Amino acid sequence: MLAYIIRRVFQSIVVLLVVGLVAFAMFRFVGDPIEQLLGQERTVQDVERLREALGLNDPFPVQYFDFLVRAVQGDFGISYRQSRPVAEIILERAPATLELALVSGLLALVVGIALGVFTAIRRDGWAANAIMSASLIGVSLPTFLIGILLIYVFGVQLRWLPTFGRGDVVDLGWWTTGFLTPSGLKSLILPSITLGLFQMTLIMRLVRSEMLEVLRQDYIRFARARGLSAKSVNFRHALKNTMVPVITVTGLQLGAIIAFAIITETVFQWPGVGLLFINAVQFVDIPVMAAYLMLISVMFVLINLIVDILYVWVDPRLRIDGRH
Amino acid sequence: MRPILTAALVAAALPAGAAELRFASTTDPNTLDPNAGNSAPVFSLLGNVYEGLVRRGRDMSIEPALATSWEPIGDGEGWRFNLREGVTFHGGQSFDADDVIFSYERASSEQSDTSSWFAPVSEVIKVDDYTVDIMTSAPNPIFPDSIANWMMMDAGWAAENGAERPNIEQGNYATTNTNGTGPYMITERQPGLRTVLEAYDGWWGEDRGNVERAIFQPVQNSATAVAALLSGELDLIEPVPVQDANRVESAEGVDVLRGIEARVIMLGFPHDAEGLIAGGEGNPFTDPRVRQAVAQAINVPAILQTVMRGSAEPVAQLMGAGMRGYTQGLERPAYDQEAARALLAEAGYPDGFRFSLKCPNDRYLNDEAVCTAINAMLAQVGLEPVLETMPVANYWPTLRADDHDMYLLGWSPGTFDAEHPIRFLLATPDEEARLGSWNFGGYSNPRIDELLPMIQSEIDDTARQAMLDEVAQIQLDDVAYVPLYVQPLIWGVKEGIEVVQRPDNFLVLRWIEMG
Amino acid sequence: MPDLTDSSRAPGATPAPQPSRWKVAWDSDIAYSFRRSPVAVIAAFVTLLLVLAAIFAPLVATTNPFDPSSLNLMNGFSRPGVPNEFTGETFFLGTDDQGRDVYSTILYGLRISLFVGVMAVMFAMVLGVTLGLIAGYVGGWIDSLIMRVADVQLTFPSILVALLIFGIARGIIPIEHRDQMAIWVLIVAIGLSDWVQFARVVRGATLVEKNKEYVQAARLIGRKPGAIMMRHILPNVLSPVLVIATISLALAIIAEATLSFLGVGAPPTQPSLGTLIRIGQDFLFSGEWWILFFPACTLLALALSVNLLGDWLRDALNPRLR
Repeated sequence: MLAYIIRRVFQSIVVLLVVGLVAFAMFRFVGDPIEQLLGQERTVQDVERLREALGLNDPFPVQYFDFLVRAVQGDFGISYRQSRPVAEIILERAPATLELALVSGLLALVVGIALGVFTAIRRDGWAANAIMSASLIGVSLPTFLIGILLIYVFGVQLRWLPTFGRGDVVDLGWWTTGFLTPSGLKSLILPSITLGLFQMTLIMRLVRSEMLEVLRQDYIRFARARGLSAKSVNFRHALKNTMVPVITVTGLQLGAIIAFAIITETVFQWPGVGLLFINAVQFVDIPVMAAYLMLISVMFVLINLIVDILYVWVDPRLRIDGRH
Repeated sequence: MRPILTAALVAAALPAGAAELRFASTTDPNTLDPNAGNSAPVFSLLGNVYEGLVRRGRDMSIEPALATSWEPIGDGEGWRFNLREGVTFHGGQSFDADDVIFSYERASSEQSDTSSWFAPVSEVIKVDDYTVDIMTSAPNPIFPDSIANWMMMDAGWAAENGAERPNIEQGNYATTNTNGTGPYMITERQPGLRTVLEAYDGWWGEDRGNVERAIFQPVQNSATAVAALLSGELDLIEPVPVQDANRVESAEGVDVLRGIEARVIMLGFPHDAEGLIAGGEGNPFTDPRVRQAVAQAINVPAILQTVMRGSAEPVAQLMGAGMRGYTQGLERPAYDQEAARALLAEAGYPDGFRFSLKCPNDRYLNDEAVCTAINAMLAQVGLEPVLETMPVANYWPTLRADDHDMYLLGWSPGTFDAEHPIRFLLATPDEEARLGSWNFGGYSNPRIDELLPMIQSEIDDTARQAMLDEVAQIQLDDVAYVPLYVQPLIWGVKEGIEVVQRPDNFLVLRWIEMG
Repeated sequence: MPDLTDSSRAPGATPAPQPSRWKVAWDSDIAYSFRRSPVAVIAAFVTLLLVLAAIFAPLVATTNPFDPSSLNLMNGFSRPGVPNEFTGETFFLGTDDQGRDVYSTILYGLRISLFVGVMAVMFAMVLGVTLGLIAGYVGGWIDSLIMRVADVQLTFPSILVALLIFGIARGIIPIEHRDQMAIWVLIVAIGLSDWVQFARVVRGATLVEKNKEYVQAARLIGRKPGAIMMRHILPNVLSPVLVIATISLALAIIAEATLSFLGVGAPPTQPSLGTLIRIGQDFLFSGEWWILFFPACTLLALALSVNLLGDWLRDALNPRLR
C-alpha cells in the first residue's frame, strides 16, 4: 500500500512537470505578449529591449526551467499585464472562485440529491419523468447562453438580481468574502446557478440510479417486508447507501467546477481566477497562464490521487492488480 | 470573530451636492504609471490624476495646463514653456521646473513606452524655477500637440519610492500608486477589478463638476455592461455596442451619447509581397486598378446602415474630420460593382483571384461582422477572398510575420494630427528612422517619403496643409489603403448626467455634472 | 462469432457463460425498451429529422448562406415574415446581421455542428477506447503512462487546447486549405478534451473483464493480446462506451458553441449553430431576438434529443435497472 502511494506521488510529480513543459511549449502559439504591452508608438528598440528583459528570446525549455526554479520557491513571476507578482494576484482572486465553486457545489449537491431521491422513489410517476427530461434542458444549452438568459430575465427585465460582479465584499485580511453582505449574497445567485446546473443534473441522475439499484437489494426488500415505513426505508437505509459514489463524484466534479468556472466568470464578470485566466490568454500574460495551469494541475492531480488511493483501499482486487 | 469592514462596505458619507459616479469600460488600464503604458485606457484614467504642460479642451484644442503659456524659440530651435506657480501634487510637494526635467528624463528613457514622443527633442533646459526650454533638432510646429499626454511626476516622490524610471516588465511603486497634480486622486486600486478616484481639494483649476468620488470597474462583455446600466448598477458605460444603442436610448432612465472617434477603419494591401499567401502566381495587388476595384466593390453605406446601425461616418482619408490637418473635399470612390468588375478585367483578372483577408475579432467595434460583409462584397465582383478572423493576440504577430494578403486595420492618430498616420502607415518602413512601423503592406511612395520631413518641420500652416492635402490625394488616387469609416463613440449614461465626449474617447471626470 | 460470451455488463458480477445468439436477444431487448418509452421515440424522431435536415440542407434550404456572392447586406435584420424595408424581400425566420436567411443558415449551421460533433466524438472514442484498452489490459508502466497523460489532458481547458491547435495549424497548414482548417481544429480540440472519459471507463471495464475465465481461457489457448482485446474485451465494454458517446455528442455540439463564444469557433463565413448563437446573443438586447432564438431552439432540440436518447440508452443497456 505504502509503495503504491509513493509510486503514485512520484507519478504525480512527473505529471506536473509535463504539464509545465507542454504549457511552455504552447505559449508562443497563443500570441506575442509584446504586442499587448507596448503602445502603437513603440520602436523596434523598445520591442527588443522588452523581449530580452522578459526572457522571451530564450528557448522555451530555458524559460520553463527558470519558471520551475522560481516556482519551487513559491515565486510565480511577475504578471506582464499587471506588473505585480502572480502569486499575489492569484491569492487575491482565489476567494471569489472558491466561494462561487462552493456555493455551486452545495447547490448541485442539495438539489441534485433531493431530485434524485424523488425521481427514484416515484420512478414511473409523471412528475419524476418530467423532472428527468427537464433537467436535461440545463445541459443541452451552452453555459454562456444560460448565463446571458438569466442576466436578461432576472437582471434586466425583473431587476431582482445584480447582473455582474461580486457585490460588496468583506475583507478578512487573508480572504475576501461575499457571504457577509446582502449584495454579496445576491450576486452569488445567478452565477452559482449557471455554474452548478451541469453538476446538479449529473448528481441527480447518479443518485437516482444508485437509489434504484439499492432499492431492489434484498435487505431493502427485507426491511420493507418487516413493515418499516417507506420513509424510513427510503432515507435511513437506501439513501445512506448511495452516498459513497455520490460523494466521490462530487469530489471529482469540484475540480471540474473550479477549472471550468472560466465561462461563468466571463459572462458575469466574476472577479475570480477563471476571468483572470481568460484575460491572461487575451493579453498573452504567460506568467499568469503558467501559474494558473500549474494550480489547476495540482488540484486535479491531488483529487485523482486521493480517489485512486481510496479505490485501492476499498477494492482489494485492484490492489492485487497493482502488484502485477 | 468579527470581520473587519473595509471602506468598500461602509461608504463614507459624501458632502451635500457631491456625487458618486460608477463607470465601466471594457479594458482596465494595465498600469497607473504614465510612462509604462501608451494606450487610451491608461491615458483616459490617468488624465484625471496627472497633468501635462498642456491639455486638450472640450473641442480637442490644446490649452494651458501646468504651463500657462509657451512660445517658439528663435527660428524653430525649440519651445519655451512658462510654468504655473503654486501647483501642488497630491502628496503636498510643489511643482516646478525640476519636476519637468525629471518627467522628461523619465518619459524619454529607454524603459519608457512614451519615448517616441521625444524623438525630435535634443535637450531640455531649466531656465529658472518656472521656465523650461525644450530644444528640438529641427523646427517642430506640432510639438505642443504631441505632448498632451506627457504627464508631470514629482521627482522627490519618485526617488523616495524607487520609481525614477518606469518598469514595464517588473512593475514598481508607480505601477499601482499615483501622485499627480490633477483634480482626482486614486485612493484604491485593485488591478483588473476596481479603481476608486476621489476629488483632490488642493487642485489649482476652477472648471470642475460635482463628482466627488468615481468608481471604475472594467466589464469586458459589453452585453453585461449594458445590462448593468439598464438595471441601474452603473452610471456610465463605454462602449455601448452599436446594435444596443437604440434599445438603451429608448429605455427609461438612461441615455446614449454618440460621437465620432478618432479611429479610422481601413483595409490594407500586400504592396511589397512577391506573391499572395493564398497561392497563385504573382501579386495582383501591385496593380492600382485592382486596388481601385476593391475600393469600388465595397458598399460602405450598406455596412454603416446595417452592421454599424447608422452610427459611423464614411471617410476618404486615413483620419477623421475634426483632426488637425484634415483634408477637405475628398470623396470616397463610389460603390459600383460594374466598375469594379471592369477594372479587374482591364487589369487581367476577369475571373478574379484567390487571396487571404485577415481580420481581428476582438479589437474594433463589430470587426468580424464588418469583415464578413466585406468578404461577401468582394466575392460579388468575382474575387475569391478567404476570410480568417482571430483574436488580436494572434492578429498583430500574424501581420508582422507578413502572413497576410489583405487585412483590416484601425488607426487612431495619437497626436490628432494628419502627420501621424503618414508617419506610421504611409512612409516606407524603416526601422532606423522609426518610420512606417505599422505599414504592414510595405506601401512605398517616394513623393510621400519626400513630403513627410517637410510636413514635420513646416511652421506655416497654409503651406503645411497644402502638403498634407497632397499626401491625402496621393493615398486616395493610389489606393494605398481603402479607408472605410470612422468608428463611432457610443456611451451609455444614466439620465441627468452631463458628460463631455471627446473623439479621443477619454473620460474627463471634472466635466461631469450629476443631477 | 462463436467464441463471444455474454457477461452481465455490471462490473464485478460473476460471468455466466451462455451460448451465442446474444446479439439477437440484445436487439429485441433494446427494441422492446425503445417501444415502451415514448420519450425515446420522440427524441429519436427529432434527432433523425435534424440529421436528415442537415444532410439534405442544400435541398431544403431556400438559399445558400455559405455562398458569399449570393448575400445582400441590405437584407440584414429582416424580421421573420415581414418584408425588408430596403429590399422588400421576406424571410419567414428573418435574417441575421449579414442578410443571411436564418432558416437556411440554421440548416447549413446544423451540418457544421453535427459534423464537428460526430467527428470529435469519433476521434475521442477511437483514441480513448484504444488507450483505455491498452492501459487496462497491458497494465504496468504503460497503464500508468496513459493514465497520467489523461491527468495532464484534464488540466488543460479546452479553450487553450483550441488556441494551441489553431496556432500550430496556422503554422503548418498551407493557406489553400485554411478555409476548412477551423473546422478540423475544432474537431481535434474538442476530441482531445473528451477522450479521457472513454479511456477511464474502458480501462475500468477492461480491468474487470480481463480476469474473467473466458479471457483467461483465450489467453491459455494462445490468442494474441491484440486479438483478445479486440474480439473478447471490446464487445463487452461497448455498451458504456455507446452511452458515453451519445452524451458526448451532445456535449461536443455545445462545446463547439462555447469555443465560438470565446472567439475560436467556426469561421464567420460558414457559421455553425454555435457561431450563430454567439452572433445572435449580441442582438438579444437590441430586439432582434430571432437571430438568437431560432438557432438556440434548434441547438436545444438537437442536444436535448441526443441527451434523452443517451439517457434512455443508459437505462436500457443497464440490466440492473430493468
